[in-house]
Amino acid sequence: MSFKNAFDSGKFVVTAEVGPPKGTDIKEMLHHAEMLKGKLDAVNVTDNQSAVMRICSMAICKLLLDMGLEPILQMTCRDRNRIGLQSDLLGASVLGIKNVLCMTGDHPNAGDHKEAKPVYDVESVQLLGIVNSLNNGKDMMGNEMKGSTNFFQGAVVTPEANPVEPQLMKFEKKVKTGAKFFQTQAIYDIEKFKEFVKFARKFPVKILAGIVLLKSAGMANYMNKFVPGIRVPQDLIDEIKAAGKEGALDAGIKIAARHIKQLKDEKICDGVHIMAIGAEDKVPAIMERAGLL
Amino acid sequence: MIITAKRDLQELMENIKNYKSFFLIGCSECASLCATGGEPELKAMKETLDAEGKKITGSFVAKTGCQVLGTKVELKPFKDAIAEADCILVMSCGAGTQTAVELYEDKPVYPTNDTLFLGNMTRLQMFDERCSLCGKCILDKTGGICPVTACPKGLLNGPCGGTNEGKCEVSPDIECAWVRIYNRMKRINKLEDMREIAKPKDWSAHKKPMKLNIREKKEEAKK
Repeated sequence: MSFKNAFDSGKFVVTAEVGPPKGTDIKEMLHHAEMLKGKLDAVNVTDNQSAVMRICSMAICKLLLDMGLEPILQMTCRDRNRIGLQSDLLGASVLGIKNVLCMTGDHPNAGDHKEAKPVYDVESVQLLGIVNSLNNGKDMMGNEMKGSTNFFQGAVVTPEANPVEPQLMKFEKKVKTGAKFFQTQAIYDIEKFKEFVKFARKFPVKILAGIVLLKSAGMANYMNKFVPGIRVPQDLIDEIKAAGKEGALDAGIKIAARHIKQLKDEKICDGVHIMAIGAEDKVPAIMERAGLL
Repeated sequence: MIITAKRDLQELMENIKNYKSFFLIGCSECASLCATGGEPELKAMKETLDAEGKKITGSFVAKTGCQVLGTKVELKPFKDAIAEADCILVMSCGAGTQTAVELYEDKPVYPTNDTLFLGNMTRLQMFDERCSLCGKCILDKTGGICPVTACPKGLLNGPCGGTNEGKCEVSPDIECAWVRIYNRMKRINKLEDMREIAKPKDWSAHKKPMKLNIREKKEEAKK
């Protein structure tokens, strides 16, 4: 079943992430992908995440496709201008990639090529518009194309950004320019997330709640301090601390599973996007404990 | 104004190591305010080069170093001193340096400064970049704050996910341009304008190298 059809079927949709490595040794990544096969509705392939140079998302999407997984091509605007982006989208389309996640992308300053010229010729809202245009048989300049794309396109949103209002205004722009689904930044406060969903429900889009696996109390504190738009409540940090060093990861898995179960049971949103950040092999365990497998 | 900073001295000395005599050109406008090319800086440069055993044949602070004809006229009295020098050092911006290149075709010309940005002077010797000279102004749509310049990604449709309590993901020293725009739009009762979707920017409005000939335009209008 395609990612789009999974939403249409009304099931609780689950996506996770595969991060292409730096270098050509893809054994470990393929092993993770193999573990996720048959369990997810789709899998994101990140695009030089954190502005660290790695294998391109499109190549890995194609490999996953050949393995029988349903990839979501993450596309950022950091490294390609409007010609490059459109050309890559057409390329992805003929390779059979059906889903695309449009993002602006972390600044090169975050990565390992800090001297790079940032492109940002267009940004997330405009890239969504471009996808829409290609889906309708025209490039962004309105030139007729021989054959159109048929992408199912999505975007990201940070429901806990402060101030949140400009973020929600941008969310609306993304809906208007064609986003069909959203994957959110990590959420840990389900009650607060409900407020966001109440707003988002006014629009005909699917919402996947971002679930980032907490691997330790230190990681939670780090994210609170340094990662914009992520707030891990103190009671969750205490819960992981109480589990001790040995039990921390297991406590993190338990929290993730509990949140997913609540989101599903209370029908809060359409699904979840699980980001295990370096612990991709734990995704099946999270899903199992959430009652999804 | 054009903001400049002194280049690393070692780099400069490496550039000019094969020359013995120099003529220095400063600028009384931006470079003076940036303390890179006014009288005190020219004096300091003379002392530095003296100490390195180099000869200074003369020096002059141009009124406006990017004005080619004006600078040419101003430098006429220094004809001999310039002819005597192996090389010209320009202590203003890249534009000033290229004025000298145009005026002295047979003479090597080196910049002593790096040219950084078009800036506003916020306080004495403190400068902020506010305009990127993009060729198509959008300040009318953004409450008068330029996101092309103030946002490291130049975003046109609102903040990215990296906005953090009003700060930018690139550095906590940068105020998020879009939070600033949001606050400003709220203050001037224009928040609804922020909902307008900005189309991709027309970068052909700044197609290098830019040229503008007002004289020609005026003459055309007369016809």
